[in-house]
Amino acid sequence: MHARIDELLSLRDGAPVDARVRAHVNHCAECAAALAGTATVRDQLRALPSAPEPAWDGWIELQSRVAQRHERRRRLAWIAPFAATASVAALAVFAALRGFDTPSQPASRPEPRSVLETQSVDALRARSQALEELLAALPERPSVARAATSVPIESLEAEVQWLDHQLSIAGADAAAPGTERLWRDRVEVMNSLVQLRYVEAQHVAL
Amino acid sequence: MSAFLDSDLPLETVCRARSGAADAQEAIYRAFQRPVRTLARRLVPRSAQAEDLAQDVFVEVLQSLGQFDGRGSFAGWVRAITVRKCLMHLRSPWHRGLRWFEALVPAEPGSLPQEAAVAVDGEMVDLQRALAQLGDTARIVVWLHDVEGYTHAEIGALLGGTASLSKSQLGRAHARLRELLDPDGVKNSCMPASTNC
Repeated sequence: MHARIDELLSLRDGAPVDARVRAHVNHCAECAAALAGTATVRDQLRALPSAPEPAWDGWIELQSRVAQRHERRRRLAWIAPFAATASVAALAVFAALRGFDTPSQPASRPEPRSVLETQSVDALRARSQALEELLAALPERPSVARAATSVPIESLEAEVQWLDHQLSIAGADAAAPGTERLWRDRVEVMNSLVQLRYVEAQHVAL
Repeated sequence: MSAFLDSDLPLETVCRARSGAADAQEAIYRAFQRPVRTLARRLVPRSAQAEDLAQDVFVEVLQSLGQFDGRGSFAGWVRAITVRKCLMHLRSPWHRGLRWFEALVPAEPGSLPQEAAVAVDGEMVDLQRALAQLGDTARIVVWLHDVEGYTHAEIGALLGGTASLSKSQLGRAHARLRELLDPDGVKNSCMPASTNC
């Protein structure tokens, strides 16, 4: 039985490998050649040339990009209070209209805490990874999708990207302020994403 | 090896850039533009998008300098931002839609999907073409592991999975590269390339 490619790669990288596999590769010309081939590919990848110098000065373009970003933020900062006021007003109107036909809840009643609220960052991260694996195990998305599932799926995917971006800024420090909230949000969004993708896959199967 | 290993800056320059010194910010750009653009071009199949992403990386680097605490190397920090940006792009619905469209309209035979502007010898052209033909995940894993020196655990975490995911993708990537670089050798082999040596 010849060595598998993952065993050869482990041998190449000096990772632990079963002694029988190591002994086999030492005596099998084909496996030894394949092992040498993986090392050659790695060396060739490392030897690939760097990106060529661009014909334009990227620094000048970058400065204008940074300035545009500042301007956009400045505008958002100006608009945000108005948008927030408008949202609060809309919510107040909505609540007032709903309030006419639903009895009000006692103010002292505590909000139910979700299971996620009590989990540590490590547990949330592990759960997020498990959901990623679940998502990867689902079949590929259909080329022609239903708008009813496709639009929410894409917006959830965009939300996961945004959260990943925020987590990358927060870095590996689990104790950093807001990290736990970000991971909790990620698990919740991933949960919804897996459910929607599952529904979509079932529709395709039917 | 990773081009980031050859590029680093004194902490003093980073501190000055953080306080807004334009010459220090330009020094950061000049020192890292090549490694950032190279990494982006390897991870993202289309060079125009890769160049655009590389510029976005620098926008983020300059705006997030306050978050660099100086504990690790600055080059490593810039590289981490580059990788994150590229992964976010590759996961975007827009990019996936484009890949689906590209699958419908295959490239002309003989055209190099990526790096058309890089003049290299024949073997390197074959390798670059083969690398560009890998799936996104396989290409990310093989580059980050074999060239940038990331561990399987680090790559697994970046992809939202485990070290096993990274290991299996690396195996697939090498098997596929072997098929693309030496189709006759694979045909003559007594073992299927996708599972065995």
